[in-house]
Amino acid sequence: MSKIKSLFESGSFKSAFIPYFTLGDPNYNDSIEFGKTILDNGADILELGIPFSDPVADGPVIQRAAARSLKNRFSFDEIFRVTKAIHDHKPETPLVYLTYFNPIYHCGITKFLDRAKESGIVGLVIPDLPFDTEESEILFRELKVRDMDLIHLVTPASEKKRIQALTKTSSGFIYYVTSFGVTGERREFSVDLKERIKFLKDTIRLPICAGFGISTPDQANQISQYADGIIIGSAIQRVIEENGSDKTKTIAALADYISKIRAAIP
Amino acid sequence: MGKNLPGYFGEFGGRYSPEILTEALEELESTYQKLKKSKKFKKELEYYLKNYVGRPSPLTYAERLTKLWGGARIWLKREDLNHTGAHKINNAIGQALIARFMGKKRIIAETGAGQHGLATATVGAMFGMETVVYMGAVDVERQNLNAKKIEMLGAKILPVTAGEATLKEATSEAMRDWALNVSTTHYIVGSAIGPHPFPTIVRDFQDFIGSEARSEFKKRNKKLPNAIVACVGGGSNSIGMFHAFLKDKQVAIYGAEAGGLGSKPGEHSATLTYGKTGFLHGTKTLIIQDEFGQIVPAHSVSAGLDYPGVGPEHAHLSQTGRVEYRMVTDEQALDSFLEVTRVEGIIPALETAHAFHVARDVAKDLGKKKDLIICLSGRGDKDVTEVLRLLGERK
Ligand SMILES: Cc1ncc(COP(=O)(O)O)c(C=O)c1O
Repeated sequence: MSKIKSLFESGSFKSAFIPYFTLGDPNYNDSIEFGKTILDNGADILELGIPFSDPVADGPVIQRAAARSLKNRFSFDEIFRVTKAIHDHKPETPLVYLTYFNPIYHCGITKFLDRAKESGIVGLVIPDLPFDTEESEILFRELKVRDMDLIHLVTPASEKKRIQALTKTSSGFIYYVTSFGVTGERREFSVDLKERIKFLKDTIRLPICAGFGISTPDQANQISQYADGIIIGSAIQRVIEENGSDKTKTIAALADYISKIRAAIP
Repeated sequence: MGKNLPGYFGEFGGRYSPEILTEALEELESTYQKLKKSKKFKKELEYYLKNYVGRPSPLTYAERLTKLWGGARIWLKREDLNHTGAHKINNAIGQALIARFMGKKRIIAETGAGQHGLATATVGAMFGMETVVYMGAVDVERQNLNAKKIEMLGAKILPVTAGEATLKEATSEAMRDWALNVSTTHYIVGSAIGPHPFPTIVRDFQDFIGSEARSEFKKRNKKLPNAIVACVGGGSNSIGMFHAFLKDKQVAIYGAEAGGLGSKPGEHSATLTYGKTGFLHGTKTLIIQDEFGQIVPAHSVSAGLDYPGVGPEHAHLSQTGRVEYRMVTDEQALDSFLEVTRVEGIIPALETAHAFHVARDVAKDLGKKKDLIICLSGRGDKDVTEVLRLLGERK
């Protein structure tokens, strides 16, 4: 059984908290400290962003994080080193990568997956790799033999037929995009959010975690009433953006924010 | 979708865009399939191309260039004579008609040289649609005349400051806008790039270039030309020029891409020469990237060629060897720009000037009594200020 599956089946929470941040912002060693802090303060699953030069699914906050990260010399060695250090701090918490497909393809799918697994990664989220591509099928197969998960995105625009087709090559959980557009904090979500998530739960036999736009404890609390998990990226990245040049301050601010969100989710 | 299905050209193409866009792309695909078969749509498109754009564009025999270069006879397919001054208007009208049919009242576009932004702003004005154009902040400066025209036409320009602030970033930003407004907005992609069905739609709307040139040349000369040449940025004017000739094995086909300042990453936009297979802006194609799959910023003297990717059909044509792609440096393009202007009395776009440089070599190699057609993709009014600046630097 995959690590993510057993986590959701353990019943240790009603709704998972899944924070995200970009590795390498402002530098790789600080990322290790940020990762540890987030784990210590209540992440159930942690999403680590591998920066990409052209993040089309991301809003300004995460775009700027990727750009800052890429000012450091990018290498997979650095990415895996940092990942391993975060993983070793709390090996029981599942780590997943969120990245675009081009760097993975360029590294070579099997080589990338072997090294990712060694570093403690148990799943992938790839916003520009739709499930109905040959590459996605290859990736799904390769992940499966490694007991790793391919987490697909479903959006308010996804039609029922597509959602049903997607079940064949999805595992871990479903990343439900709460609103139109790209990542970034929002005040409102699509009106039928609750109904959509309910429909997804009935159709896809996987946990449904909601992300894109969530930032406040109130929002997290409200959505966790019906979603199996809450994903927060931009709001965390903003904490790093605002304090990142001062490591101690960032760590304190992250600890404060992460624990508040965790406390808001049952 | 699989590799042998529509949307792929050999191993290239496909649909690799965020999930939020999938429904819109499927709607676009099915609408286009329907409209393609509709006589009414065909008539409407032809009406605007004839009466608004000024098609068919002439095929000009370039007597003085022929003499000067001393080789094959040179013919020019005059897309510079289209309304708004480039081939971009063909596609903008076609896609605006599709948008109108789908009931979308807002159109957006990305632009490098400003020609596609200008074309989109123009059709936006003509059809009364709200229009937004994303343009790199650097290009807003380099191509200021077009930027001003776009605003005068009532469209909104949103300058993009991320990254290199050129075409790549403008394209990413337009995709993000589309993701947010997908139910009310159509994204008029300006080159033969992007997720399926864009590369096919853009090629079909530009196919007029090659099919007109082919039949006009045949009518006048009772044969086919020996070679054709076009410049390649994303690859829309070139695929439009090439497509009708692909099956004519006796016609040699050349693409001219931007060799920029040199061979180092960041100094050129020579995707077909230096690119490797990858995924960018929704398509699998050749891309200029580093050893880790990060996209390397492109450079060209012409804003319209300044893109690190290329249309997937070109990647395929390059791989199969049907088309030969050659690099032209900034300096060579500038020389050709001046030469064509003085010899033929036609100021070509800096993008097109790249094609002229390749054509000169090909014409010499072909020798006399052979024929070569150059796609004159656009006029150079937009480039005059930039060329004067560059000439100033040269002194
Ligand atoms: C006159 C002209 N030619 C060529 C191009 C390059 O684009 P494409 O390769 O799509 O034809 C441009 C782009 O702006 C252009 O304005």
